[in-house]
Amino acid sequence: MSRTTRLEDLLAALFRYGTWLASATIGLGFALMLIDARFGTRNLAGFPNMWIATTGIVLLILLPVLSVLLMLLVFVRDGNSRLAVPAGFVLAVILSGAVLGFRALLRPGP
Amino acid sequence: MASGLMLWLFAVSVAASALGGMLGMASGIFIVPILTMFGHIEIHTAIGASLISVIACSCGGAPRLLRSRLTNVRLAIVLETATTMGALTGVLLAGILPIPFLYFLFAAILFLSAQQMLARRRDPSPATIPAPDRPWIVALRLDSSYPDRELGREVSYRVHRVPLGLILMFGAGLISALLGIGSGVLKIPAMDTAMRLPIKVSSATSNFMIGVTAAASAGAYFMRGNIVTAVAGPVALGSVLGAIVGARVLTIVSNDRLRFLFVIVLVALGIQMLFTVFGVHL
Repeated sequence: MSRTTRLEDLLAALFRYGTWLASATIGLGFALMLIDARFGTRNLAGFPNMWIATTGIVLLILLPVLSVLLMLLVFVRDGNSRLAVPAGFVLAVILSGAVLGFRALLRPGP
Repeated sequence: MASGLMLWLFAVSVAASALGGMLGMASGIFIVPILTMFGHIEIHTAIGASLISVIACSCGGAPRLLRSRLTNVRLAIVLETATTMGALTGVLLAGILPIPFLYFLFAAILFLSAQQMLARRRDPSPATIPAPDRPWIVALRLDSSYPDRELGREVSYRVHRVPLGLILMFGAGLISALLGIGSGVLKIPAMDTAMRLPIKVSSATSNFMIGVTAAASAGAYFMRGNIVTAVAGPVALGSVLGAIVGARVLTIVSNDRLRFLFVIVLVALGIQMLFTVFGVHL
């Protein structure tokens, strides 16, 4: 099996299990929310149900980022600097986007 | 938020992703117009939810395409340098550009999508393709092959005009961040026409890339508070389910009939968006 094929298999596994985990987390958060609203219970999970759903959304956003990180690690391990450089660059740009958003959040409104 | 609205968001996302999945598109092109015009959700919140939907569609479809070796991950990471830079530029511009301009741009992209839907995609003829003119295409080993089940053999292909592809990908990333769409409508023609990749490879590689591009802007939208869990959560769940349903329905529905239906929906949404720009409410 070639190295590229191994990387594709690793990425496929990451996306498959990651998507299910993120979806299940979001689903759990909303299911608890609906149960609480329907039966008048409060915080069955012990902490705000919306936080559980938000964690699932963050997991979903992180999945493509983790795929780039996985590619970077595989390229570095294989000594393939020609592809490790673009992978590192993409990660840096994604991180910059998050930092820009965070700075906008801290900026006082008009 | 009322559970009725959450169920509506979930149902709309299932339908949008199923429709999109049938023709290899992410659902963002439908999600934003529906949420803003029918759900009366603020456009930046709708864009944030749509980016989550794009990531869900991309991640949900990626495993099958990666295992079938249709996705060229080496080419994807090279092109992602341009799409993520475009997305970062889009994030910076999103807060500056006036909202009517965003609606107008969205209407233009909807009409472009309808036009591309009508134009049939064909694999480039190998006889007309010149040899790669950049030694680094060979150095990065961007050329590859994939097993074609219909032909029953391995199909080799060459990657062409990477610099032109990078320029087009920057534009695709910019539009993706501004409008919250996957920009497959720009990425796939860039790979089909400019880079001369086989259709199956460009579709699979685009699917892989739209998730990374959307994640680049979704991080910023999330940090800025534009990704509202009560809206984005049901949209994400609906998109995962819709993408699975769409891929299954794809095998049993006539492609031409579906294409015609799509064009009508895209043009109708485009006209509705233009009405919004000019303050006309039906």
